[in-house]
Amino acid sequence: MGNPIIIPSILVSATASKLRSLFFVIALLLSGGSAFSADRVYQKPSDFIRGSLGEIPANKAIVLDATQQKTVRAILGKRYKTTSIRHWSVGKKTAFILEEIGKTEYITTGYVVSGGKISTVKVLVYRETHGWEVARPAFTKQFEGAQLKGGNQLSRAAKNIAGATLSVRALTKLARLALYLDSIK
Amino acid sequence: MSESTPKHRRRNTRNWHRWLGLVAALPLLWLSISGLLLNHAEFFGLNEAEVSTGWVLKRYNQVPEGEPRGVQVGDRKVSQWGVLLFLDHEDLQLNGNLVGAVAVKNRLVIATDERVGIVNGSGEMELDLDELSLPPLPVEGVGVKGEQLVIRSSGGTYRFANDFLSFEECEISLSTTSLPLLGDEAKDELESAIRTRNAMPLSRVILDAHSGKIFGFPGTFLTDLAAISVIVLTILGLRLFPKRKL
Repeated sequence: MGNPIIIPSILVSATASKLRSLFFVIALLLSGGSAFSADRVYQKPSDFIRGSLGEIPANKAIVLDATQQKTVRAILGKRYKTTSIRHWSVGKKTAFILEEIGKTEYITTGYVVSGGKISTVKVLVYRETHGWEVARPAFTKQFEGAQLKGGNQLSRAAKNIAGATLSVRALTKLARLALYLDSIK
Repeated sequence: MSESTPKHRRRNTRNWHRWLGLVAALPLLWLSISGLLLNHAEFFGLNEAEVSTGWVLKRYNQVPEGEPRGVQVGDRKVSQWGVLLFLDHEDLQLNGNLVGAVAVKNRLVIATDERVGIVNGSGEMELDLDELSLPPLPVEGVGVKGEQLVIRSSGGTYRFANDFLSFEECEISLSTTSLPLLGDEAKDELESAIRTRNAMPLSRVILDAHSGKIFGFPGTFLTDLAAISVIVLTILGLRLFPKRKL
């Protein structure tokens, strides 16, 4: 007789129920996530403004002149998506809803600045497939209390998150932008 | 009965190790090479390099489905193809379904059902108005009355102030017009512009090829099989590790 097909004993020892369990584990792994996942909406911009300022005041806009646009370009490394930027103010608090591309998609983030310092940062809509960890409060809280120092840099830098470097950079740039906009509003 | 002797068990284990290793060699080679490339993406310039091949862009939904529609306002053309919006052949960073576009005081106002974009004479986006600056959504129509922007939404009809940042309800009727389909020539020009502009970063394509997700379910399944093969090969290898008894 020729050699029969022989299965290693380690595989033979697996019972039918174990194989079924393995199949379900594999199926679960395969069904989880897609490379092209949908937007993660953490909070509506209107809810952020209401929650941060206690109301939604009338919106105003900063119309950036040529010098201000140059400074914005220096902060972001490129032009901001609009030439006028809206803001909402109540008392000393001013809120901005800012957008910047992480790697390929816009990240919509809410910033509240009070007395020249950042008091709140919240990622509102995250559209990238990787790097959503920047939306965690543990990360965004690092910006609280930060202010601008020379060269429009932050007085305290947020720690990088492995695998989310570009998103971290985007949020850091927007924090600098929010502080700069607050200073010229 | 002879198959159960240690000698035969060892030979069978070696056979399984050999054949499984052969079958898994190619996927494992790809996973190793792509993993190394991704770990050194900046060194290899993979973040700057781009892929504009048709099938790759389709996998990322960068080539829209259906037929493009648009509206001509003066010498500018605003169009929508799938979920993508365009001003002439340039991407328009505005979300939602195109409702219409009008010229208001040297500015082009582009309305979707959830956003309104104000574009100045230089083609720069001046303002991107969302739910915070618009009447109750969705926006249903856009028009001009006495050089002022008028928008019809689910909440009624509203006339905007000159700075577009405030509005008041009014009694102006706006006619509803459907957006016409673009002609073949305009569609071809738009598609060519999309493929050039929407190229994907090579690092992203390699990452999704590494995980198999770019090929959909079969890709993910094969990647998982390759990973399981490594586990089985390790176990079989450990079984073969002890020295043979002479």
